[in-house]
Amino acid sequence: MLIRRLKGNSIELTDIEPIEAELLRKVPSVCDTGGDSRAEARLFSNPADSSEHQFLSDWDEFVRPELRHLFVSARKTVEEDLGKLSDRPGRPGRLVVPCAHSDAWLNTLNQARLILATKFDFTDEELSMHEPPQSFSRRDLVLLQINFYAAIQERIIDAVNGEEQE
Amino acid sequence: MAETVVEPKVEVALGTPWNVVVHNDPVNLMSYVTMVFQKVFGYSKQKAQQHMLEVHYKGRSIVWTGARERAEFYLQQLHGYLLLATLEKAE
Repeated sequence: MLIRRLKGNSIELTDIEPIEAELLRKVPSVCDTGGDSRAEARLFSNPADSSEHQFLSDWDEFVRPELRHLFVSARKTVEEDLGKLSDRPGRPGRLVVPCAHSDAWLNTLNQARLILATKFDFTDEELSMHEPPQSFSRRDLVLLQINFYAAIQERIIDAVNGEEQE
Repeated sequence: MAETVVEPKVEVALGTPWNVVVHNDPVNLMSYVTMVFQKVFGYSKQKAQQHMLEVHYKGRSIVWTGARERAEFYLQQLHGYLLLATLEKAE
């Protein structure tokens, strides 16, 4: 898959292989915590220590719903963009995303990576590992999925900061 | 005898500075954290990278210090980008 900035403030993802398209389409559903308390705790981390009772209470009441709305809205944007992914059997796909959606993409990919990392209890060391996995257990494949989403984030940041191309 | 009026002691909190602290997280990418610092605080790429590296190598970085209300605003922004950020009273 190639990711580049196009003229007219958009980002183009080309040569999307079927397995890559499948992983991309999974992003919005991966972002559903399914009520997993640890994943929820990571998405909505505490903004202060327990001595700040009133602040924490206000945060839960007023800020947390806004954050949830922001995350859900970002997911919807990505889901709608993914609906335009063109891929015909046997042929690589293509997707054009407006630059204005880049924050939603980065946010949603981050949600997906944080939730997967929390649910599968990856350690700091494992997340920093760049060697190929020793086996292909479900856990190893999820780590590859996290790294795939990380690579897309990196390319989107590069594309947003980079020069427009024809 | 004249009544003595004792005025309640009012703590003036206006001048108390607050730190916005960002903590290390193995999931958030270095380039992403740098970009967020640039967007939220308007920092130059160099300054944003310095804070990102401090987070990465020291585990935390005080990314902003100032009035409480503003600190809370920045905190909300950082949480919106899914960074681990907290509010602390400046020493």
